[in-house]
Amino acid sequence: MSFDQNAFLIIFTASMISISCGLLGVFMMLRKMSMTGDAISHAVLPGIVIGFFVSGSQRGLEVIIGAGILGILATLMIDWLRKRARVQLDASIGITFTFLFAVGIILINLLAYKVDLDQECVLYGEIAYLPIDLWITGGGTSLGPRIMYLALLNLILVGIFIFLFFKELTVTSFDENFSMVIGIPAGIINLSLMSMVSYTTVSSFEAVGAILVVALLVVPPATAFLWTKKLDQLIKITIGIGIGAAFFGYYLAYYFDSSIAGMVVSVAGIGFLASALFKSKLISGRFGTSTKQEPFEKMV
Amino acid sequence: MSDFVYFFTFQDSSIAFVVIGIILLGVGSAYVGTYSFLDKKALLGDAISHAVLPGICLGFILAGTKNPIYIVSGAFFSGALATFLSSWLRKNTRLSEDAIIASILSIFFGFGIVLLTVIQKSGNPEMAGLNQFIFGNAIAILEEDLWIYGGLAVFIILTLTAFQKEFSLLVFNAEYGSAIGYPMGLIRLVFNVLMILSVIIGIQAIGVVLMAALLITPGAAARFWTDKLSYLVILAGVFSAVSGVLGTYISFVLPQMPTGPWVVVFLSLVALISFLFAPKRGVISRYISRRSYLKRTHQDHLLKALYRAGEKDKTNLSIEEIYETYPFQKKESNQSIKYLTKKGFIIQNQSFITLTSKGKSESKRIVRLHRLWELYLNEYMNIAPDHVHDSAEKLEHILTPELEQLLESRLNYPKLDPHQETIPRDNDEL
Amino acid sequence: MINHVESPILEIHDLTVSYDQSPVLWNVDLSLPSGKLIGILGPNGAGKSTLIKAIMGLVAPSGGYVKLFDKTLEEVRSRISYVPQRESVDWNFPASVLDVVMMGTYGKLGLFKRPGKKEREIAMECLEKVGMQGFAKRQISELSGGQQQRVFIGRSLAQNADLYLMDEPFAGVDMATESAIFELLQQMTSEGKTVVVVHHDIYSAVNYFDWFIMLNLHLVASGPKEAVMTEDLLRKTYGGKLNLLTKVSELIRQKEFNPLKN
Repeated sequence: MSFDQNAFLIIFTASMISISCGLLGVFMMLRKMSMTGDAISHAVLPGIVIGFFVSGSQRGLEVIIGAGILGILATLMIDWLRKRARVQLDASIGITFTFLFAVGIILINLLAYKVDLDQECVLYGEIAYLPIDLWITGGGTSLGPRIMYLALLNLILVGIFIFLFFKELTVTSFDENFSMVIGIPAGIINLSLMSMVSYTTVSSFEAVGAILVVALLVVPPATAFLWTKKLDQLIKITIGIGIGAAFFGYYLAYYFDSSIAGMVVSVAGIGFLASALFKSKLISGRFGTSTKQEPFEKMV
Repeated sequence: MSDFVYFFTFQDSSIAFVVIGIILLGVGSAYVGTYSFLDKKALLGDAISHAVLPGICLGFILAGTKNPIYIVSGAFFSGALATFLSSWLRKNTRLSEDAIIASILSIFFGFGIVLLTVIQKSGNPEMAGLNQFIFGNAIAILEEDLWIYGGLAVFIILTLTAFQKEFSLLVFNAEYGSAIGYPMGLIRLVFNVLMILSVIIGIQAIGVVLMAALLITPGAAARFWTDKLSYLVILAGVFSAVSGVLGTYISFVLPQMPTGPWVVVFLSLVALISFLFAPKRGVISRYISRRSYLKRTHQDHLLKALYRAGEKDKTNLSIEEIYETYPFQKKESNQSIKYLTKKGFIIQNQSFITLTSKGKSESKRIVRLHRLWELYLNEYMNIAPDHVHDSAEKLEHILTPELEQLLESRLNYPKLDPHQETIPRDNDEL
Repeated sequence: MINHVESPILEIHDLTVSYDQSPVLWNVDLSLPSGKLIGILGPNGAGKSTLIKAIMGLVAPSGGYVKLFDKTLEEVRSRISYVPQRESVDWNFPASVLDVVMMGTYGKLGLFKRPGKKEREIAMECLEKVGMQGFAKRQISELSGGQQQRVFIGRSLAQNADLYLMDEPFAGVDMATESAIFELLQQMTSEGKTVVVVHHDIYSAVNYFDWFIMLNLHLVASGPKEAVMTEDLLRKTYGGKLNLLTKVSELIRQKEFNPLKN
């Protein structure tokens, strides 16, 4: 069996995207902000469209900046609605993301003459075209798929972000009040996390679509959480699930001739539901604080 | 312009059907969504809307055409499965609510996308209609579809209206409902069914992704205008209907635009206007309230200043003195003087201000409230005399006559405040 | 009955704090001595937690100010330690006992540094002080209520502060843990640290604390045990909310803005 280079490139890129999303998604889940992550990945759409429009040539920094701005805008809008207008949180999220996504769709239609974005593509991307969309340097050398490099860059930046701010992310996710008291700028950490989510959404949407980014943000960490209570294991399992879903998703999509991104998510989903079933029936009663009776520890 | 007339005079019966359709769809969703909003489970609707996609596709695959019965059944099955899984996961795992909803939403949707792309690639010409479920296209609502979807919408509206009592128990105080013997489990089940049905019919017009707006936004906006449940629901319906019609109109005039986003834009606009301008709860209204409160505060302070001058045997104050007492507030002072003169509390004689007898009475009242409150803070809360002034200064403007009476009787009609100043009463001499 | 103190470790001046649109603390004036074990008492909703949160800067006051070591909070953060209520976090969080206690060292570590051997040693020492050294690798989701509380206290010890503010550390904790914690707190004060504790139970409080703050939407009393534990003051604290005050608070809550704010 010869080595299928295209398959490898696609699976490799999809894995990188899964890992970036998974890493960020772990912290979103721990902060109970999974739906906010969902909202942000919808909300960046107008930013993407405007970025495409402005940069004309369809790729480039403008799109990332546009998305980043929209991500922050969405977070600020949700905040404004909740705190100043005093709208309840779930409604603030719902109103913000539906409005921004609607604006994005309208812009796609209005600017269609200049912006080559397909509505459906926005939803689920088309990673199948990855191997033919190459990055060609000025000298004419082909360096490989453009999207792969985008995903690689994204993964590196996400990795650096998580590494540098690991303890800040952990403590603000566990106990925000305590973190503020010891002087950690919890608000800024939160905003940076949201910005990384926006950036990751836009970096990945051409491959997997804005909506399916959500699945990769949420499902692998949720699945991992069913299996372990240790943070380092949680992260490792999330990464493993991401790679596994990419691998199996590709081949199943090939077999059924369906959207690759959709299949990756479906595979992850089956993994999630199977884990939930397995973990609850087999180990019934073992969730939350255990009822183990510990011998009383005397103080030294 | 002629488009506008053509559209709104319903010369084309197909347009009339579309408008009726979108109104019914929108109102049904707004009704259900409002209860969901009050239940603080607004995003569950978002999950269900995404979750019906695989069911729709499955229905299509089985029927081979866009047969509404297959599609509705498929969607219903998939929506019900998603709802069931959500509760199951909540009961049997440690996952938090938001993680469960987000997971179900995206997994079902992802699976739906798989089915959708399989259908697209199969080359079935009927599939053109299927894309509309994602982004919505009200214009494409056919007359025969309208009977089914419209019928469902009417059913939803009637059920919610007829059983308003039961459903409000569900969202406001389910435990109490159980305690007094209502079958809350059954009511919850019926509600979930209504929710799934409204999603199925709503996505015709607005699409899967934006359906959440049709559920959440009308109720959230209406909430700012009223506290009464029956008005709330009706107002939400009105907002939804109006936005729906306007959105459809745009779709009619610009045929390449899908309806869904425009409906959402109009809904969001309505919501924003509500959040800003609704009386009492709106941001602007609260701002205006505060501004007029501050004006009133300044007027009260002016009256107090005149009274206190009177305690030192000064019968009037010059405008210059007033400016000095409240530096940097010249404009406010002028406004207050004008207002108080108009209301007959003060008289302006060249550059001197004097209290009228009405003014004397009112200024005594404010000073009395101030000093009574100071005494209360001092006697009942052990607050030092030099710390009571600020609080009294702020509260003297809002204490009601009823509270005044309570203060008087609690403190036993005292003569002096903590600073040994007299507490003025109406029959005193000034 | 408000005792004021020379060179206090904590000074609260005319503090009014609102929560959810209406005031819960009216014009609180007090000063606290250092090196003592101080209890904050009062009925439910009296403003005890709010007072701690206002001191820690988690809630902004509508009026007045707080001074710690005669400075602002920002200047002396590293000298103050906070133990929040146990229910304020989700104990399903994937962390070990040691992980949580080490969080106490993060404040002094600074932004990009990772916790290392030194922080680990500090954390283990603190675990020993609360009797949880055998649990270092245990996941916090497996702990009992008393153990969770000890971990929280261990974390605050790791901050190595001079002033400790604890919000209901004895709530829902078994008797044995309660005495153990109390012994630890006494040891801390004998070492010169000041510990302020929001406590829920008046009966045990009498035996535990040297100094009391009694709250009932306002400050009823602040002073040493002998001065404050009188029938009259206890009645003022626990005998029901001041009717007028409650009415005025309600009036304020119904307004769309807070007239007490500047």
